[in-house]
Amino acid sequence: MEPKKMEKIQEHIPAETTSADLGVQVKKISYILVVTRNGHMSEPVMEYAVNVADRLQYNIIAAHINTLPFYRDGGRRSGLFASAMQESALLFREKAEARGVQVKHIGDAGKIGNVVKRLCSSEKRIEFIVIDQGIRKEEVVSQSPVPVFSVIYTEKKAGLRNKATHYKSVEKGAIRMSITSKKRHLRNCFTFGILTAAVYAAVFLNQELVMAYFTKGGIYALLPVAVVFMVSYAHGNFTSSFWSALGIEGSKSTTTKPADIRKKATDVPVVKKDVRPRAEVNV
Amino acid sequence: MHGPVAEVLQFIDLTTYNILFLFIVGFIGGLVSGFIGSGGAFVLTPGMMSLGVPGTVAVASNMCHKFPKALVGAIKRYKYGQVDIKLGLIMGIFAEIGVQVGIMIQQYILKVYGQAGSNLYVSFIFVLVLVIVGGYVMRDAVQMKNATGITPSSPALAKRLQQIEIWPMLTFKTAGLRISMWFLVPVALATGMLAATIAVGGFIGVPGLMYIIGATSIVASASELVIAFVMGLGGTLIWAYYGTVDIRLVMIILAGSLFGVQLGAIGTTYVKEYMIKYVMATIMLIVAVSRFFAIPKYLNELQVTALADSSVALMTQISFYVMCFALLTGATIILVNLFKARSQEKAAVPAPAGG
Repeated sequence: MEPKKMEKIQEHIPAETTSADLGVQVKKISYILVVTRNGHMSEPVMEYAVNVADRLQYNIIAAHINTLPFYRDGGRRSGLFASAMQESALLFREKAEARGVQVKHIGDAGKIGNVVKRLCSSEKRIEFIVIDQGIRKEEVVSQSPVPVFSVIYTEKKAGLRNKATHYKSVEKGAIRMSITSKKRHLRNCFTFGILTAAVYAAVFLNQELVMAYFTKGGIYALLPVAVVFMVSYAHGNFTSSFWSALGIEGSKSTTTKPADIRKKATDVPVVKKDVRPRAEVNV
Repeated sequence: MHGPVAEVLQFIDLTTYNILFLFIVGFIGGLVSGFIGSGGAFVLTPGMMSLGVPGTVAVASNMCHKFPKALVGAIKRYKYGQVDIKLGLIMGIFAEIGVQVGIMIQQYILKVYGQAGSNLYVSFIFVLVLVIVGGYVMRDAVQMKNATGITPSSPALAKRLQQIEIWPMLTFKTAGLRISMWFLVPVALATGMLAATIAVGGFIGVPGLMYIIGATSIVASASELVIAFVMGLGGTLIWAYYGTVDIRLVMIILAGSLFGVQLGAIGTTYVKEYMIKYVMATIMLIVAVSRFFAIPKYLNELQVTALADSSVALMTQISFYVMCFALLTGATIILVNLFKARSQEKAAVPAPAGG
C-alpha cells in the first residue's frame, strides 16, 4: 500500500448561525487537536473534547492516524481503518453539532509524533492536543509544540465495566500482586515453619547430646550461638510470614499517620465519585 | 574455668507447664521489645528462677534469647525504615564496654558488701533509674498527647548538644541528626552499665537517644534493638564460654518471643509517637513499684530492718507479680492500639483507587 492511497479526508462542517452571533465575525478560532490511532475514536474522548471546545469556544480537529499503512494484508487493515474512520467521524460530528462545535476531520498516516508535529505546523492555532487511548503520551509530547492531555474515563461509558480505564492495568496488577503476595506468605509460612520445626526437633529429640556439648563451654560456645542464629532465621521468617498471611502487616501509610487519615475521613464528607472523562496533563 | 562451672550447674527438666510459661512470657516480652526496643528480659530472669533454674543459667539464657530477638525485631523495623544501623552499631559497641564496666562495678560491690548488698544495689538502681527516667518519659508522653498542632522536632537539650561541634562529629541519616561522638558515648556506656545491672539497658538507651541525642521515639526504639543485638551477642558469647546457656530454654522463649517481636514491630507503624513513650513509661513505673517491694528482703538480709519472714516472702511474691503485671499492661496497650488503629485505617481507606 502506498501512502498516496491513503486519501486525506478533510471535511468542513459549515459553521452554524450560532457562531456568527450578533454579526460579529470571530476572526481567530482556536482548535483542539484530538488524535486517535484507532479506527473508532473512543466516545469519552470525543465527549471530553466537545465539552471543552464548547466551554472555550474552540473548534476541533479530529485526526485519525493510521500508524500501519503498509501492513501486509493486502490493504485489508487500511480499508477497515478508513471505513471505521468514516463512522467515527460521523459520530463525532453528531456529538459536536449538538453542542454547536465545529469538527474538522483529518485522516493521515505515519508515526503519531511526526503526524502531530506536521499538523501543528500546517493547521494554525492548535491550542492543545487530546490523545485517545492506545497512544503513548511520550511519543506525542516529544514532538508536540503544545500541551498534550490524555483522558481518563470509566469504561461504563464505553459500554463496559465500571472501571477507570486509565488505572485498569495498574489495578489489575495490584490485585494480582496482593493475591500472589498472600500466596507467597503462605508458602513462606509453610517452608519456614517446616524448617523451624526441623531445627526444634533436632535439638529437643537429642536433648542429652545437645546439652552435653552445648554446655561444655570454651569453643563449644559457638554451638548455642549458631543454633540461635538458625532459629532466628527460620523462626523469624516463619513468624513474619505467619502474621502477614493472617493479614496483620505494617501500616501502609506510615508517613501519613492513621490519626490524620481518621481526621480526614471524619472531617471531609464522602464525595460522590466523579465519573466524567477528565484530562491528564503531560507532566 | 568453664569446665567446673558447667558440672556444678543444674539444668531443669522441661514440663508442659514450664514450656507453656516460658512460651507465653517470651511472647509478651517479645511484643514489648518489638515495640519499645527492649523489655521483657526483666521478667524472664526471675521467671525462670521461679521455675527452679539456677540464677546464672537464667541470666545467661535470657541474654542468649535477647540477641536473636533483637536481630529479628531490628530487621523487621529496618524494613519499615525506622532503624539507624550506624547509630545502633556505634552505640552497641560502646554499650558493650559499658556492660564490662557494669560487671566490674557489680563484682566490686559483691566483694565489699556481699550478695545482699549487691542485690540491694541492683534494686536501688532499678528504682532510682526507673522512677526518674520513667517519670520524665511519662510527662513528655502526656505533654505530646495533649499538645495540639505540630509536635516539637527535638528536645531542647538534644538541640543544644547537636550544635556543639567537637571532633569527631557523626552524622546519622535515618535518624536525621548530627552530633559529636562525645555525647553519644556516655549514653551508650550508661545503656551498657544499666544492661549489666538490671538486664534492660533500653530503659536508659531509648530515653537517652530521644532526649540527649535527639532521635524520634520510633527511631530510638528501633535502633535500640541493634544496640541490644550487639550487647546480647557479646554477652552470650561470654556466658556460653562458661557453658551456662541452656539452649532448650532459649529456644522455647524464642519460639514465643519472635511471634511477639514481629507483632510489636508491626504495632509501631500504626501508633503515634507519644504512644511508644507512653507504653515505655508505664512499664518502667510499674516495674519500679515491683522493685520497691523487693527492697525489704535485701534490707532484712543486711540486718538493716527486721521484718517478719512471712511478710518479706509476700513482698517478694508481690514484686514478681507486679513485674508480670507491668509487662501485661504494656502488651495490652500495644495490642489494643494496634488493632484499633488497624480497623480505623481499614475504615478510612476502604479500597485502592478506582475500586
